[in-house]
Amino acid sequence: METLIKEIYQGIMDGQHKDVEARVQSALQAGVSPKALLEEGMIAAMAEVGRLFEAGEYYVPEMLVSARAMQTGLAILKPHLKDADIKAAGRVAIGTVKGDLHDIGKNLVAMMLEGAGFEIVDLGTDVSPEKFAEAARDVNLVALSALLTTTMPNMKAIIEAVHAAIADRKVKVIIGGAPVTEAFARQIGADGYAPDASRAVSVAKSLLA
Amino acid sequence: MNNRERILAVFNYQGYDRLPLVHFGYWTETLFQWAEEGHITLEEARAWADGNAIDLAITKKLGFDFNWACASFGANASLHPPFEWKILEVLPDGSRKVVNGNGVVILEKDGTQGIPPEVDHLLKGRREWEESFLPRLRFSPDRLWDASERIQAVRSGEWQLPVQLWCGSLYGSLRDWLGMVNSAYLQADDPVLFDEMIQCLGHLVYECVQATLDHIPADTVPDYAHFWEDICFKSGPLISPRVFREKVGPHYRRITDLLGKRGIHLISVDCDGKIDALIPTWLENGVNVMFPIEVGTWQASIAPWREKYGRELRGVGGMDKKVFALDYAAVRAEVERLRPLVELGGYLPCPDHRLPPDAKWENVQYYCEHMRKVFG
Repeated sequence: METLIKEIYQGIMDGQHKDVEARVQSALQAGVSPKALLEEGMIAAMAEVGRLFEAGEYYVPEMLVSARAMQTGLAILKPHLKDADIKAAGRVAIGTVKGDLHDIGKNLVAMMLEGAGFEIVDLGTDVSPEKFAEAARDVNLVALSALLTTTMPNMKAIIEAVHAAIADRKVKVIIGGAPVTEAFARQIGADGYAPDASRAVSVAKSLLA
Repeated sequence: MNNRERILAVFNYQGYDRLPLVHFGYWTETLFQWAEEGHITLEEARAWADGNAIDLAITKKLGFDFNWACASFGANASLHPPFEWKILEVLPDGSRKVVNGNGVVILEKDGTQGIPPEVDHLLKGRREWEESFLPRLRFSPDRLWDASERIQAVRSGEWQLPVQLWCGSLYGSLRDWLGMVNSAYLQADDPVLFDEMIQCLGHLVYECVQATLDHIPADTVPDYAHFWEDICFKSGPLISPRVFREKVGPHYRRITDLLGKRGIHLISVDCDGKIDALIPTWLENGVNVMFPIEVGTWQASIAPWREKYGRELRGVGGMDKKVFALDYAAVRAEVERLRPLVELGGYLPCPDHRLPPDAKWENVQYYCEHMRKVFG
């Protein structure tokens, strides 16, 4: 059983989504616990992918194929997770801000967060403050993405809308995107900033700890 | 000195009478914003294009010398013919899915700005590659630009700007056609096809450059050659540097060797984003001018690259266009930041991409005035 978990882990590291799919099925049939598969096989692998990206050894293509392998395995595993009563690391509403239709960065962050055990509510692109605020009622974390300097200012309005909707400030807001900086995040009252998809995971975890 | 001579002096670390002032164009939305404010006419906003008469007029009005985006010789080293632009679907909110000339399905939505996002790609695998893309990537003489007027202007001395030979793209186009996600998946799922695509593009660009050189009289030597890639983002490259070096690097070498035989030794590449991890491959394979040195949130600058790689590495760009949204003090501070970079030599400041709609006309004008005060 440990071998199967290791093979799933390595399959995700290598981006072999078909192998991962087959091995997850085999592992479930062999009685491997869904929790072990998720935590030791998948989340652990994606954590290593993130570490390698931050270390400059993996790049975006490697991150994408690993995330795809993870998602393929997770699709098989998901029905079994409910039975196993496994808690998600958190629930995240993610979207690109109003006026901005770009979603590649947002999608990559969503993949990495899902790979780390978060549940994702993907709001899409060109998302209004109202829609973010509505989604905020049902999540622990709101993640905003902007690709353009001209849409970045919309993040402030969204943070204000979320804070107005969730007055006790239990929902945290993180931001990211090409023109976004840590200084800007502080300036507009975001709870966190992530320079890339991998660090979005560590920021999300630290905010919800 | 004319601007052509000045640019060559900058890149060859020689003396010059004053630093040329260059820009890299504007977003469409910026032009319409300026038209609304009365700085240019609506007709000018509609009809602007790199290097046309309107571009020359706006350039002069703002105080620049010329638009850096100005190729003289070249060929269409991409899809030929392009795919027909077609609206595929109009969505309930009025946005439109449109297939563009690259076979990429983009989403056009009123009220949004910038380059439309990609939502799908015609190129998914071998079938589409062989049926629809390969036939568009074979060399034919009709790809060549008509260079007769420019040849005459250069030979007569009437043309006084740097003479660029446009090469094309060795990977950026492929990334465009496939999309970032599918290009990553293809590398893993079908490395043979991935290789074939890179080889195909490499050969096409080589043939286009060869044909362009054959078309230009031997005594008319372009000042520099120029590639386009756009394969990086704020954290680094969208392709593994190892893959880029192994698979794309040799094509650069082959083409820069060809250019070198013709006396063209200044070779530039246009790549937005954080390019540091790809610079070694470019330099090793003959590409020695980085453009537009997007400052971004990663604070790109030619200074650390010059320290690391020496004087062979030149640059154009590196002026943080974001200051145009602020005020004169911010513009002055930015010019002051550029001063030691210009003193390094081999470097020409230029706004680090096309000016976005938050760039205030008066700030851009002030930049030009102040640059002339500081740099002559």
